[in-house]
Amino acid sequence: METSTPNSQPETAREYRRFSSVQRAQHALLILSFTVLAITGLPQKFLGVEWAETMIAWMGGIENARILHRYSAIVLLFVSIAEFIMIGYKIYVERARWTIFPRVQDGFDAFNQFFHNLGLRKDAPKYDRYSWGEKFEYWALVWGTAIMALTGFMLWNPILTNKLLPGEFIPAAKAAHGGEALLAVLAILVWHFYNVHIKTFNRSMFTGKMSEHEMQEEHALELELLEQNKASYAAPAEIQRRRRRRYMPFAVVTSVVLLFAVYLFVTAETTAISTIEPISDRSQVFVPRTFTPTSTRVPPTHTPQPPTATLEPGKPTFTPAPEVSPTASGAQVAGGSLPADHAGRTVCQVCHVSGMGGAPKNPPDHEGRLDTSCADCHKQE
Amino acid sequence: MRWLCKLLTGAIPHVQPSLLMPGVAMGIALIVSIGVYATVEAQGPTDDATCLQCHSNPELEMTLPSGEPLSLYVDPESFHGSIHGTLNVTCVQCHTDIQGYPHPPANYIDRRDVTLQNYRTCEGCHVENYRSTLDSMHQVALAGGNRNAAVCTDCHTAHAVTDPANPRTHIPQTCAQCHSTISDEYIASVHGEALFDNDNPDVPTCVDCHGVHNIGDPTTAAFRLNSPQICADCHTNAALMDKYGISTNVLDTYLADFHGATVELFARQHPDQATNKPVCYDCHGVHNIKSVSDPTSMVATQENLLVTCQRCHPDATTASFTAAWMSHYEPSPDKYPLVYYINLFYWIIIPMTIGALLIFIGSDVLLRLRRRLGKSTSTPES
Repeated sequence: METSTPNSQPETAREYRRFSSVQRAQHALLILSFTVLAITGLPQKFLGVEWAETMIAWMGGIENARILHRYSAIVLLFVSIAEFIMIGYKIYVERARWTIFPRVQDGFDAFNQFFHNLGLRKDAPKYDRYSWGEKFEYWALVWGTAIMALTGFMLWNPILTNKLLPGEFIPAAKAAHGGEALLAVLAILVWHFYNVHIKTFNRSMFTGKMSEHEMQEEHALELELLEQNKASYAAPAEIQRRRRRRYMPFAVVTSVVLLFAVYLFVTAETTAISTIEPISDRSQVFVPRTFTPTSTRVPPTHTPQPPTATLEPGKPTFTPAPEVSPTASGAQVAGGSLPADHAGRTVCQVCHVSGMGGAPKNPPDHEGRLDTSCADCHKQE
Repeated sequence: MRWLCKLLTGAIPHVQPSLLMPGVAMGIALIVSIGVYATVEAQGPTDDATCLQCHSNPELEMTLPSGEPLSLYVDPESFHGSIHGTLNVTCVQCHTDIQGYPHPPANYIDRRDVTLQNYRTCEGCHVENYRSTLDSMHQVALAGGNRNAAVCTDCHTAHAVTDPANPRTHIPQTCAQCHSTISDEYIASVHGEALFDNDNPDVPTCVDCHGVHNIGDPTTAAFRLNSPQICADCHTNAALMDKYGISTNVLDTYLADFHGATVELFARQHPDQATNKPVCYDCHGVHNIKSVSDPTSMVATQENLLVTCQRCHPDATTASFTAAWMSHYEPSPDKYPLVYYINLFYWIIIPMTIGALLIFIGSDVLLRLRRRLGKSTSTPES
């Protein structure tokens, strides 16, 4: 490590291999899938809150977010399968010490560390390859991923799930998926970020190496074991090769089976997510009622007459009702016929309203009539 | 006239009477025309009695070029009883092209043409309502050549205009003139039944969901996406719902589910895009909405509900699949206890876990602070 602490001498600045390239690649994929899952998933849990909807919009909409969520879930499943095969390899081929598995001592370590931090205990516990805090995080991830995969499967394939479990398990799975997600993200933000980024910036997951100083600080017990050669990571090459030959078929078969399981996971059912056309009831819209006259409309009791003449469009003809008098009194319409000297006149009312020049005055029912209609009744002699 | 000219020429010598003739004639014509104008003005516009002299005859009718008879009868009683009649609106205020008799020639082809040529007269007074119809589905259809599309008078009538919502049953009956099957469905629905049987003032009629004059196209994605809000307008109103013992958290529970959350987000973020997630009426019915306690409701029994689910999830064949949707229930120890207890579990476990981690982190910060202080004060010890 370039950043050597002041008291570290150049000859003691040894580096210890901590993570293999496969582990680092797994971690990189884990970062990718976990982050995308969190970014696409949490806004779905907190829909209705502004930041959540802004994020959804930023991702191109809820359906996009869901698709991204599912793709990163597949990546996480791949990482999980790889981890399963890798653990098997370490245990069987490398016969590595079971340093990642929890022990009773971890509980004591946690308490001792806590009391040491508070100044109630002089010595800090010495940690082997993985401290209790790291194991906690690892197994929380394993357990969390298992829960998320299981509940995710149920949400992804609700109909298939329902063949085995009651329907209530689907909303229950959604509740657990959201709760576990929140727990996982908060744990990463609080615990993981504090321990490897804030407390000290631990680069070992990216460089694969740890300085002697860091080892003394965080894995003192492992350092002691290494110096006593009790922490061998590898059996003799010949034995390892033999075990590897036996492990490989198992690894391949297991991988294929698990990958097929992922395939089933993804494709088991489609109706819950595929875009089938929205179903809507499109009834016939225009279905006029057969005409039933309302009280306000007096039905014309006409007997339709056949058109008597070829009709010119735009020139409606009246069906004449000559017997009906337009005058209220019912007097004969003919009125007075017009004297000869009235021929060609178009102005009537000016004299007949006022009686000007001795003209006969209009009867009262003529009030309001215009000159244009006079000639309809009052014909020229 | 001649004497008038002579009089004038007497007063003005050297001027031939014949030269004055046209000028005098024009002057008289002017005086007479002013007189006529003044007389007409004094009389005011044609009053209704004049029109009714002819148009109160029930047999008055004309034949249109299409061969259809057009009754020219106006029932005086019904007109005078109409809103316009009681407000003393006169015939010619609407029939603005007509002043006296004879009427200007009408270029009607058929009966529908009569309506379509005349309905715009309503704009003269009802500008806002008229303008809002311009955005309506009906006007879009009309502009697209559908002559059946409703205009003002199709709903309000021409002469017997009364309060269109009094009684409220009048509203679906009005729409039924063209949308009879839909109206029949509505009348048989829980809303329609309450309206027709009990004259219930709370249930929606056509216009409460579709709007009045600016009735939009209800087949668009936008209408579908916004439709839950239409239902929610009443169904989240506690004052209304408490009367009938109906839950008001139907919207919240819908939005909390995949279906509602998706629809709501589409409505806000992609209002013109279709989504296949259901809205209220996909499960409850569009016009034929039934009470959930009515065994014929689409969501009433598990069997009915499964059929409803299968419209989108055709592979779902187990009746218990219906429980995957929590039926607008909030999870509680009685309803959906598994969901309730899982939520409770995380409500407890998340603060506890994160709290414990924070406490431990606090202790670590304490240690580091002490170490730093110790280093700076008592160097020889380390």
